[in-house]
Amino acid sequence: MLSLLLKSMRSRVIPTSLVTISLMASMVLLLSIERIQQGAEEGFNQSISGVDAIIGPRSSSIELVLYTVFHLGRPTNNITTKTVNDVKLRGDISWLVPIALGDSHKGFRVVATEPNYFEHIKYANSQPLVFSKGVAFAELSEAVLGSDVAEKLSYTVGSEIQITHGSVESIGSKHDDFSFMVTGILNKTGTPIDQAIFLDLKGYELLHLGWKSGKKIFNLDDIDLSSLPDDALIPKTVTAAFIGLKSKLTLFNFSKNIREYPKEAISAVIPGIALSELWSIVGLVDKGFQLLSWIIIAISLIAMVTLIIASLDNRKQEMTIYRANGASPKFLAMMVLCESIVIGLTAIVGAIILVTIVTYFATAQLNLALGISPSFKWISMDEIKVFSLILLAGALSSLIPASMVFRKNLHQTLS
Amino acid sequence: MLEALGLEYRYQHGKKIVFPEIEIKRGQRLLISGFSGCGKTTLLSLIAGALRLQAGDIKFDSTNYSSMSSLLLDKHRADHIGYIFQTLNLIPFLSVSENIALGIRFSQSRKSKVADLNQEISRLVGSLGLEKDALNTPVSRLSVGQQQRVAAARALLGKPDLILADEPTSALDSDTTKKFLNEVMETFDSTKQAMIMVSHDASIAPYFDTVIDFNKQHA
Repeated sequence: MLSLLLKSMRSRVIPTSLVTISLMASMVLLLSIERIQQGAEEGFNQSISGVDAIIGPRSSSIELVLYTVFHLGRPTNNITTKTVNDVKLRGDISWLVPIALGDSHKGFRVVATEPNYFEHIKYANSQPLVFSKGVAFAELSEAVLGSDVAEKLSYTVGSEIQITHGSVESIGSKHDDFSFMVTGILNKTGTPIDQAIFLDLKGYELLHLGWKSGKKIFNLDDIDLSSLPDDALIPKTVTAAFIGLKSKLTLFNFSKNIREYPKEAISAVIPGIALSELWSIVGLVDKGFQLLSWIIIAISLIAMVTLIIASLDNRKQEMTIYRANGASPKFLAMMVLCESIVIGLTAIVGAIILVTIVTYFATAQLNLALGISPSFKWISMDEIKVFSLILLAGALSSLIPASMVFRKNLHQTLS
Repeated sequence: MLEALGLEYRYQHGKKIVFPEIEIKRGQRLLISGFSGCGKTTLLSLIAGALRLQAGDIKFDSTNYSSMSSLLLDKHRADHIGYIFQTLNLIPFLSVSENIALGIRFSQSRKSKVADLNQEISRLVGSLGLEKDALNTPVSRLSVGQQQRVAAARALLGKPDLILADEPTSALDSDTTKKFLNEVMETFDSTKQAMIMVSHDASIAPYFDTVIDFNKQHA
């Protein structure tokens, strides 16, 4: 039967393939949206790990996570080092890593921090940061690069870099009076860490010694670094601080205390909660797209059934000859049913191939935009369920033309 | 082999036809003649089991149509009957051989009577006066005469007991009709098979053993 069916479909190749393509395209749409969403969600959730809380100036938690974890946007406020030191003295804290943001190098964000950053900050499922080359910075003139930075700018251990004030390179904004030497390069993590440059906070403070309100007042060459007092290079303010607690049980108490800190308006954000809040916004858009693509799939299935019904009239001769040669109505109905399954399966196989290509490129885009790289996969259990559902819906809807064929009296077709 | 007694058929639009009694034995060739619209095709459909009986019964060897389900009638048709239409006998997207092979496609018993399909197809095609090249010609490029020969080959493949032919020559000119009928009658196995042909063309009567004239019956 299948060979008869395939030959019959080949004789109607243009309408049949157009319907197959439209079904395939709608599935590609649905699946790409689903995959990008899953990938983004996975990437989002894996972007930071091992951090119990992030403290920063009082603002929305989403904002704080956006610039501390994703290095997106600009911090509107800083918190004072004094406050950070106060928090550090709390008994429930296991570790604290301050960070200062704001500068960049050739479009890559600079994160000024302390060497213990590489020890405490983790990603994915508590994966530690590992150096692929070199070691963490120890001196204020040293820097560590994320893997993408090193790869794209072809830097290696020993390269010298200069930092730009702010996130956009413009004339006169370069800290060209001081260079940093790369001492280490991190392994690829698939998180925004890959696109960051890490400096020592003291080095970062040194860069800004001659600056006031975003303008350079005097050159570092004009001052004698050895004559600076010890505390001159301790920054007065930082952007935020990552915190690890001794016990997670104290987390809510801790964040409540932080909110109530009397001397400065600060807040503590729990990364997991902030990420899921952020995700719920992104996810909403995604749900809308998903609904749309299901509607498009339904339309494609209706188009397929319409095509089959319309073709029945043209296939009267074919059907009559089968019947006259002894084919049962069941045979004809099965033929119609199988046609929808063949169309469905072809569309599914095509969709898998196309989606794989689409996600491959979309993943690269996602990585570029958010610094997250979701894992790449062929087909998931959920997708198999979606495909089966579509195939089933197609087969069920083709029962309409199949029953039309079944009920047709042979005599009606014979004469 | 086949007996049709007391057949009547009432169409949905109300017209009723009472058919003459028909009896046919193996080796017999029966021509039913009469002007169009007199119910010849309906009679063939009843005999083919494509149309359910309303009154009377058809006895085919030891089986009665009135006691068979539609599904059994389909199987019966596949096993015992070869059918030739007036026109449009062939499926355009199949090759000539594939069209002929459809004759035994739905019947195990007819399949078992064909030892070597390709050989049998060439024998039939040769006997029916088709050139060997015709087997490789797309169906759409065959002449009407050639198409009817392919249809006859399909109806004869696997030696069904009964060949039903519904005005197979109506689209052919008189020379081609003669040639076609000569070849079909030659290929027809008069020891095992029977044939019922309906036609409004009385000039083909000499090819048949028995002629039933519907017009006379009704008069």
